[in-house]
Amino acid sequence: MNRFGLFSLTAPIVHLIGLIVLVALAMAGLAGTEFALSRYLANAIGQLAAFAVLAISLDLIWGYLGILSLGHGLFFALGGYLIAMYLLKHSFEITGTVPDFLQFMGWKEFPFYWDGFEFFPYALAAAVVITTLISGLFGYVSFRSRVGGVYFAIITQALVYVAMLLMFRNDTGFGGNNGMTGFTVLFGWPMGTSGMITALAVVSLLVLAGVLAGCNGLVKSRFGALMLATRDDETRLRTMGYETLRLKLIVWCLSALIAMLAGMLYVPQVGIINPRVLSPELSLEIAVWVAIGGRGHLVGAVIGALLVNAVKFWLSFAAPEIWPFILSGLIVLVVLVFPNGLMDLAKFKLMRPMGPKRLAADMGEARP
Amino acid sequence: MKLARFVLFLVGLVAGGPLLAPTARAQALDRAGLIGNLCGNASAMGEAAAVLTGLAMSGDAADRAFAVPLARAVIDRKLACDEAGAVLTESGLDAVTRAPRPAAGEARTPVLSLKNRATYELADAALALRAAPEPAQRAAALKTLERRPALIPEGLLDAAAASETDAGLKADIETLAQTAALNAADPAARIRALARIADTPSRRALTKVSALTTDPAYAASPDFRAAVDDATLRIERGIAIGDVLATLYNGLSFASILFMAAIGLAIIFGLMGVINLAQGELIMIGAYVTWLVQQGLRVAAPSLLDWYLVLAIPVAFFVTAAIGIALEASLLRHLYKRPLMSLLATWAVSLFLMNLVRVVFGTQNLQFETPFYVTGGVPVIGDFIFTWNRMFAIAFAIVTLALTWGLVRRTPFGLNIRAVTQNRDMAACIGIPTRRVDMMAFGLGSGLAGLAGLALSPIYSVNPQMGQNFIIDAFMVVVLGGVGTIAGTVVAALGIGQINVLIEPLWGAVAAKVIVLLMIIAFLQWRPEGLFAVKGRRK
Repeated sequence: MNRFGLFSLTAPIVHLIGLIVLVALAMAGLAGTEFALSRYLANAIGQLAAFAVLAISLDLIWGYLGILSLGHGLFFALGGYLIAMYLLKHSFEITGTVPDFLQFMGWKEFPFYWDGFEFFPYALAAAVVITTLISGLFGYVSFRSRVGGVYFAIITQALVYVAMLLMFRNDTGFGGNNGMTGFTVLFGWPMGTSGMITALAVVSLLVLAGVLAGCNGLVKSRFGALMLATRDDETRLRTMGYETLRLKLIVWCLSALIAMLAGMLYVPQVGIINPRVLSPELSLEIAVWVAIGGRGHLVGAVIGALLVNAVKFWLSFAAPEIWPFILSGLIVLVVLVFPNGLMDLAKFKLMRPMGPKRLAADMGEARP
Repeated sequence: MKLARFVLFLVGLVAGGPLLAPTARAQALDRAGLIGNLCGNASAMGEAAAVLTGLAMSGDAADRAFAVPLARAVIDRKLACDEAGAVLTESGLDAVTRAPRPAAGEARTPVLSLKNRATYELADAALALRAAPEPAQRAAALKTLERRPALIPEGLLDAAAASETDAGLKADIETLAQTAALNAADPAARIRALARIADTPSRRALTKVSALTTDPAYAASPDFRAAVDDATLRIERGIAIGDVLATLYNGLSFASILFMAAIGLAIIFGLMGVINLAQGELIMIGAYVTWLVQQGLRVAAPSLLDWYLVLAIPVAFFVTAAIGIALEASLLRHLYKRPLMSLLATWAVSLFLMNLVRVVFGTQNLQFETPFYVTGGVPVIGDFIFTWNRMFAIAFAIVTLALTWGLVRRTPFGLNIRAVTQNRDMAACIGIPTRRVDMMAFGLGSGLAGLAGLALSPIYSVNPQMGQNFIIDAFMVVVLGGVGTIAGTVVAALGIGQINVLIEPLWGAVAAKVIVLLMIIAFLQWRPEGLFAVKGRRK
């Protein structure tokens, strides 16, 4: 009961959630005053929050279920593209600005599958349904034939790569290689104002806090215990008569939905979506955030995402060409020296370190 | 036999004068008579022109050389006729004997009638095309002939094409020959020309033939119409066959590259359960090493420059193998129990190598020499050209396949690889140094990637990002083929390569990739371990 116990007020995750909510409230409260954050900083915090949500989604499936997806960018992009469709259609309804890609393709009106995207509830529902369908179908066929481990990782990578090629085409009606940009209105309010930027950042932070709390509740529940059991020894669980397919499928779809949510938060803040979000590199990077933060710890995933992306934000101004070298160095360091990421640094029991057995077995994906 | 001769005779009759002329000159040329005709009246001069044109088509080389200056001399009025025959005034030689002599008495310059001028120009161009020493002169003569294709005697251009040594000029002559024959005045000649064009189908031939449907003869003569339709049909069929062959051939060369990229992956994956995400970058480094060898040869031994592709084989192999061994020894040996982490680690290596190359060499495509053995190709049918650069990749892959197969199946090292692949613990128990086998196999797999880079350098563009274009397809080959089997890798590479290339012209490259991926996912439902899974307990 101790290990899977419910919340304790001293648990780091509670501190983290509290901190996030506090920052969100402070940003909201200070908005418009002289103490308000600069637009750039507020925007950066909002984007980091979206990345943290994305990292949690991967940690849920990789850290707690032992299934590495190198294609989570697909669901992130799904959310991003669908919210971008809403934003464009909505902006078009209100201001009459025709999106660039329509003019570029010489089309007079939106393709039929854009119908209804001016209503946010419809766009949200579409995003949830499409993401669930795609992840559910792919997860079902993969888990049913017990594709796992490295196989699953590279097939997901191929999936996101193929999706990228698909979206690079200009005739799909999704903006082609230029993607979608030029969002002017969100829920009737103009975008790009400092108020809107702060609001988006605050919402992102609150969503992050909510996702953290929800996932924490999930992994601490009986269901979470089953997830860990599946991760550590799926064969034994199956032998005992538990069908893991349903469990894996549920967690996989949930993870995809959280990644989609991250995409929906991210795109309004950066103001553009293009197929590069679907590049295999980004999906691999998500895994790197989680690995650096520490798999199997929601706090670790959040910290990893924040840390890596903060350094990336900073370096993309200071020295963009050395970023890949630093990233690869970080990965090698984590892989060789700190197999549990930053959690290995937590010697003073800020977090419960992983047991030595699991450390060696690498979260249940060891070969027999 | 008699019948054949009779038909030939008939054909000769139909073909008319120009064709009769060569048959009449089976015996030696009457040089004095020819010169006499040149100095004669208009009809004699016409006969002489026909003889000259005939000489251009057949007759022996000595006679042709004799005839070359004559038509020009008449046109330029540089022929002085006197009692003893004629003198070429420009060179001061006797027209018959070609001995120097001055023109005697009151020399007369023959005047060309308007009708004869055209025939003499034709004769001059025909002779120049056959016998002028310089390609430029022959090209100029061809230009002259092009202006009046209908006048060109049948057979002249074929004879000229057969003896032409300059390849570009030869192609031009052949093109003109087709046009000339198609536009000949005589319908039978046109029909024969159609049949001959249909023998070598190509898109150009099709445009030429289909243009004839607007020709008045198409509506007027049913024979001609039938010939045109038949030729169109045959050419279209030829083009279709050529397209299919070209697709298969391109697919084969793509599959060869895929195979070479994937075989190393498959061996490593079977052995250690590690997918090397840096394989694409090892391919890229193989291509860069090839380029460096080329640059080195350019400085050190320019005479060997053409052979850089061959000389780079061991260099590319050993450099990439060394990188692979270093990678294994420093990084992957710590990750055998954590295959998912090895994905991240090898990705880090891939990122590092790609950016290192980008910093050192820049992002632009590298310029490669194309040695003679990967230049050009043999046109087979339609637009299908059996190009040597693709053949190089295919042959290279076949040799690699044979060597790899021999290595894995016939050597002690290969036996060790297979033993460790099947059961690592048991292999260790019977004294196989599994750690060393791992390292060497990783080196082998990496070296094969380097060779893939070498093989694709004559076909694809070489830049720091090139590895990314092949790597995902190579993964799919491994997934489809099954773990660590050579046969599976071959079949999967052929399948994926061919399907990609087959679907591409129908729905585009992207659709090809989507369909291939969906097919692989569907296939894994049926056989999760790949095509050629090793029989045994499911892991």
